[in-house]
Amino acid sequence: MNRKDADPQDTSSGKKGNPTAIDYKDQLERDILYALKKPTPLYWGGLALAAGLVIWGAISWSIQIRTGLGVTGLNNPVGWGAYITNFVFWVGIAHSGTLISAILFLFRAKFRSRFNRSAEAMTVFAVMTAGLFPLIHLGRVWFFYWLFPYPNQRYLWVNFRSPLIWDVFAVSTYFTVSAIFFYVGMIPDLAIIRRLKEGIGKRIYSILSMGWVGTIKQWRHYNQLYKFLAALATPLVISVHSVVSWDFAMSVIPGWHTTIFAPYFVAGAIFSGCAMVITLVVPMRKMFRLEKHITVDHFDKLARLLLFTSLIVGYAYIVEYTLAFWSGNVYEEGQFIYRAVGDYAFFYWLMITCNVVLPLTLFVKKLRRNISYLFVLSLFVNVGMWFERFNIIVMSLAHDFDPYNFGFYIPSIIELGITFGSFGWFFMFFLIFAKTLPILSITELKEEVHD
Amino acid sequence: MTDKMTFSKRAEFISKLRELLESGVPPKKLKIVMPHPDHEVDEIVEKYVPPSKLKYFTLAGALSGFIGGFALTIGTVLDWPLITGGKPLISIPAFIVIVFEMTILLGATVSLLGFLILSRLPSFKSIISPEDYGNEFVILMDRRDE
Repeated sequence: MNRKDADPQDTSSGKKGNPTAIDYKDQLERDILYALKKPTPLYWGGLALAAGLVIWGAISWSIQIRTGLGVTGLNNPVGWGAYITNFVFWVGIAHSGTLISAILFLFRAKFRSRFNRSAEAMTVFAVMTAGLFPLIHLGRVWFFYWLFPYPNQRYLWVNFRSPLIWDVFAVSTYFTVSAIFFYVGMIPDLAIIRRLKEGIGKRIYSILSMGWVGTIKQWRHYNQLYKFLAALATPLVISVHSVVSWDFAMSVIPGWHTTIFAPYFVAGAIFSGCAMVITLVVPMRKMFRLEKHITVDHFDKLARLLLFTSLIVGYAYIVEYTLAFWSGNVYEEGQFIYRAVGDYAFFYWLMITCNVVLPLTLFVKKLRRNISYLFVLSLFVNVGMWFERFNIIVMSLAHDFDPYNFGFYIPSIIELGITFGSFGWFFMFFLIFAKTLPILSITELKEEVHD
Repeated sequence: MTDKMTFSKRAEFISKLRELLESGVPPKKLKIVMPHPDHEVDEIVEKYVPPSKLKYFTLAGALSGFIGGFALTIGTVLDWPLITGGKPLISIPAFIVIVFEMTILLGATVSLLGFLILSRLPSFKSIISPEDYGNEFVILMDRRDE
């Protein structure tokens, strides 16, 4: 990577002042248009792979619907397994999208403008993936609407004291708000694509951009709206993963019933989400030749965020053990000894390695600025964070109070199929997004380049 | 009859805009189109144009979500009083979560609605024949009634 192209202002052939900005703006539009060109065979291959995984997952789910939950490895006492792990994992992935788009916006962190569009898309698709899992976990999925409060002839209402109902409200609100945020952020960019396109494409983007002109009146309302949405999304994102953590913390199971769960889950969510942003943006940047817009410096900043959240997560792991050993509660202590040396110890240490030990290498500047290294590391973090959720859910249930009630769980082939299918589902949507919508926030980048 | 002034340089556009507004041209007669938002322009225009009314939409949405959340949770437990887990019927701390989520949900959706109403979107006229000025800053001045 050439360090020189760190700053877009310096890129164009040494010209000073205004022409640079104009050149950059044209270059940006050309690059965005390039990304929307006819896909390469590599792209089709990726899309076919993702769609294949979705089909595998769909077949697995249809088997489960026809046969019943018995096809899973779930048992008594381990009633929550891979599905709930996937749910928590995907909700977590969604979080850093909102962090990058809303929280870093409020803090005026400039590097966000390089990642925010992909991160927002990731948020929307990850919540769409996460939202499937509570449904997949239902024995009779065709009654899923019982989760919502609606007047019915039996005069029954949902139990608002249940964390599972909080989840319904939190996740559906999160999906709605992040979809609004994603779309609103795109309106001016869709208008730019409308100008660049011809024929039927122009029609489609005209409709999508709702006839945006960019008058000063529109911009003023737009900026206000964006600020409000960011301000609303910030507490929302913290509440959503807190509510997800309360699905566990509100129970009495050792290893779940603890007060640090909410901040611990939120930090873990942002950590895993940052890793997923790197996983998605590195290949996208290469494929669409965005090296000029997303530079090593920007990745460096993201790597620091990854390192910072990794330290919080590592700290939370230590606190969890400390709380358990000073609790004076044999069940709590037993649970944490079980985690380190019990049946699933391999996954526990895998999690520690991926989430705490490997990210420490990011203290080295050279590694932080090495894009291939970051990409590989982000894959490890994704694996580590999946197993963090698996460990919390499965180990606590497999080893609760009464030794007579201890159990063991391994995911069945159906559960694995649906898990891989969910990855396919997520990547499929992301690939479609990358070819049809503006992958960088064009107007924000233009605003940064002053003449 | 309208005068159209286009600028490819931001600085020229800003000085022209400032000049026009300071010379007493009513802002209503100006239609200003920008390829991207700009803080300096905002600061100039702020003196002549009242601030965006969007905040009232956000406030109204958030308040109705807040009240609606309490109404939904308390209303339903009273509609069919069923004690679960020995907890009080009206369990405020548990309901706060629902109230919070509904505040955000309605706050965000009503804000979006307010934005669409205030900025006259979707504009069917502009969907059918899009108005595009590229990367230029444009000032369109209405010359009628002079």
